[in-house]
Amino acid sequence: MIQTIEASPEEIYDIELEHSLLEANARLAKENRALLDRSGVTAIDVMGAIGSGKTTLIGLLVERLKDRFGVAVFNGDATTSNDADLIASQGVPVVQIATINGCHLDANLVGKALRKISLEKLRLIFIENIGNLICPAEFPLGSKARVVVVSVTEGQHMVRKHPHMFLGAQLVVVNKTDLAEAMGVSVPNLTEDVHKLKPDLKVIATSCKTGAGLDDVLTSLLAV
Amino acid sequence: MHELSIASSLVDSILEFVNTHSVKRVLAVRLTVGKLSHIELDQLQFCYAAITEQTPLQDSALEIETVEAVVRCEHCLYRGQPKYWDDALSVGPIPTLQCPVCGGAVELVEGSDCAIKSIRFVTENEGVAMPAT
Repeated sequence: MIQTIEASPEEIYDIELEHSLLEANARLAKENRALLDRSGVTAIDVMGAIGSGKTTLIGLLVERLKDRFGVAVFNGDATTSNDADLIASQGVPVVQIATINGCHLDANLVGKALRKISLEKLRLIFIENIGNLICPAEFPLGSKARVVVVSVTEGQHMVRKHPHMFLGAQLVVVNKTDLAEAMGVSVPNLTEDVHKLKPDLKVIATSCKTGAGLDDVLTSLLAV
Repeated sequence: MHELSIASSLVDSILEFVNTHSVKRVLAVRLTVGKLSHIELDQLQFCYAAITEQTPLQDSALEIETVEAVVRCEHCLYRGQPKYWDDALSVGPIPTLQCPVCGGAVELVEGSDCAIKSIRFVTENEGVAMPAT
């Protein structure tokens, strides 16, 4: 009896690829950072929920800084230019990054924004990320520091509900502390939650309404 | 919904491979996802199935392997799994960057990436020279 083995018309192959899906963004973020470093500019990525006070905080910091050195702001927003208009009224360069359907800024969009302005006279760029507490954490932009703005109006358990956001941050701002009592939210407990996630993460309590804590934020950001 | 961006990026990479090699049909894609990446695996599967329709990747299996996170403590030189915050009232324990040994701040060394490990595919026909990878 003869056994026959027929070659299959189709062959199955396994190929090792080792290709990182987050690498493309990480590489562009490094390029952004190199460009910023060469130009002597520090970029600060400001993340946080919608309504946490990112734009107001950036606006107040810009107000304090704009006469000292060059400051610019990139405003990420899905659709409107409200935030960009607000900051532009202060007379500093502003680039609106409209993500349309995107839930986060990425290094490619920030790279495009960096090519829209002259970096020559700048020392600091605030990048206001999209109001979102999950996706931005995955996409570094090339900033020197990432700040998370939390407001007491988001409730007592906000930090433990969105832990990932804090792991990659260098500064946490607990905002709207003037409302803490009315909200029944404890700022020390929020701070304790942050430190359970990342013991050395600096937390500053602020109120954009009274101006409390803003000088501390400024000092911390200028030291990065 | 950044699972859709991740799935698109995944499918683009595989299609680039498919278009430059003699691939008839992709049978399986093996992916590693770090425990500290922010990717929801069910959503990723759903997006993958949706965007691979009518491509050579249609009906292929997306096999996902999760990779444990590894942290390193520069204070006490601990290296290993992160400390999990298990009384946070959350559904599952939350990974932290607190050293499980000394309580200091640790650095994440592994577990935040998402990478294609390998693909399994059928070639156009027998005898096609295998491309260099």
